[in-house]
Amino acid sequence: MSADAASLSLSIRAPGVLQRLLPGRVLRGVLGLVLILVAWQVSVPLIGLPDYFYPSALAVWVAFLDLIRKGILPVYVGDSLWRYGAGVSLGTLIGVTLGLLISLNRALARLLAPLINFLYAIVEVAWIPLFVIWWGYGIKAILVSLIYVVVFPVLYNTIVGIRTVPQVYVNAVRSLGGSRLQVIREVLLPAALPNIITGFRVGAGFAFRGLIFAEMIAAKTGLGYLIFEGTAHHQTARTIVGMICMGVLWLFIDNVYLKPFERATVERWGTVVSAEDRG
Amino acid sequence: MPALSRQRLDRLSGAVPFFMALVGWLLLSKFGNLPEYMLPPLSQMWVRFTDGLVDGSLLRHVGGSLYRLAISFLIGNGLAIPLGIAIAMNRHVSDLLRPTLTFFQSIAGIAWVPLAIIWFGIGMGSVVFVISNTIFFGAIYSTVIGVQTIPKTLHRAVLCHGAKGLQVFTELILPGALVQIILGLRTSMAYGWRALVAGEMIAGSSGLGYMTIEAVQWYQTDTVIMGMILVGLLWLMLDRVLFAPLERRTVARWGLLQR
Repeated sequence: MSADAASLSLSIRAPGVLQRLLPGRVLRGVLGLVLILVAWQVSVPLIGLPDYFYPSALAVWVAFLDLIRKGILPVYVGDSLWRYGAGVSLGTLIGVTLGLLISLNRALARLLAPLINFLYAIVEVAWIPLFVIWWGYGIKAILVSLIYVVVFPVLYNTIVGIRTVPQVYVNAVRSLGGSRLQVIREVLLPAALPNIITGFRVGAGFAFRGLIFAEMIAAKTGLGYLIFEGTAHHQTARTIVGMICMGVLWLFIDNVYLKPFERATVERWGTVVSAEDRG
Repeated sequence: MPALSRQRLDRLSGAVPFFMALVGWLLLSKFGNLPEYMLPPLSQMWVRFTDGLVDGSLLRHVGGSLYRLAISFLIGNGLAIPLGIAIAMNRHVSDLLRPTLTFFQSIAGIAWVPLAIIWFGIGMGSVVFVISNTIFFGAIYSTVIGVQTIPKTLHRAVLCHGAKGLQVFTELILPGALVQIILGLRTSMAYGWRALVAGEMIAGSSGLGYMTIEAVQWYQTDTVIMGMILVGLLWLMLDRVLFAPLERRTVARWGLLQR
């Protein structure tokens, strides 16, 4: 079971690309991006398709400036970020709390495992229609679906993490007179942390795409809405602006917040050290 | 064999929460005073399910979805893995392309649906394009990483022993990158599955996603919930039947999974 979670995280947490890039490599990478852009721009007159079908790089740049000048893009990005932040943090909080409560009782954890597995397998995308029926199009349906995406990987990995804590550690703290709360704080949480972070990373990754989709279906602002609305009005350049912003935003979130956060917490709290170090 | 009976007990007890959820549903729809569109009675779910089976629409939707997924999986991986290896074998090319791949991977999937509709129209083409795209960028990225993270020493060792051309490929590159490639298959499938359901909702003309989003228009909550349950069951089946054994046989056996 832990194999599922670990494998997911392994491939998503692809080696820290940024830190290992040497200056020469960065330059070559940038060159690659520039080449793609040039090829895109040059191919447009050669292929000769209508602008709404295959807009040029320049047209996308113009649309980008236009969206900024009209103040649409900053507002949309802000809305998306706000929804994402709220959904992911609420989801993580709920996931960890539920995971702790469930795994404090081994029998309960075993009892609920299949149900959690099943709910985890119903991807959030499939829930959105039901949420829309229940709460209509709008922020409520979006937030709930984001929370849903994050809760299950976090919950699942929290339970797995706590279940694999060696009983010896718990016994040790117990016999030194640790209370139940201290066992949780000094043993279970730090030991399960790497798993929890893994679940968080998986959830945060799925949640970002989930957000874009939810905004396509149920929102009137946000990047997902921009991507969706652009083509509906034959403003395909706007759609592409939205897609590029989405990619940049995700890389930013991933490299500036998630990866350093992961490194900081996992390294600092480590699997085994914490109990004696912080005692 | 105590282990076996324990397992059987677990499996039995695992059914309990499902059973309780069903009972809760039954009670809530009977006494909860909720309108039918919010929580359809269980009996109605059953009627909808059997109706779908009898007129064949349910099987058509499920079959259509799986068919699109299979085609896209073949297209995506069939293109991505050879291309990924080719790119990664040349350090200059892979340095050149890696940031681009990272970027495309981060927008792969659902975000392409509107563009796909413009290019391919509503229906099969769009959906297959979106899923293949998702799977392609997931798989190619992990393939490139897999080849590039093969330790240099291994490379030198293989060359020292006089390996040439194709041998380097079969003895070093392929086995060295295989773990990443297999992990990539599974991850990209997970993203591909989401893209399938989402793509069918927006751009589909049949399939599970289409069935569900169509039902929203008519407030047929029973169909929506049936679609959700099928999405969950099918994914568990795919994961258990295809990927878990594959991974057990390869990745876990070679001891590369961190537990």
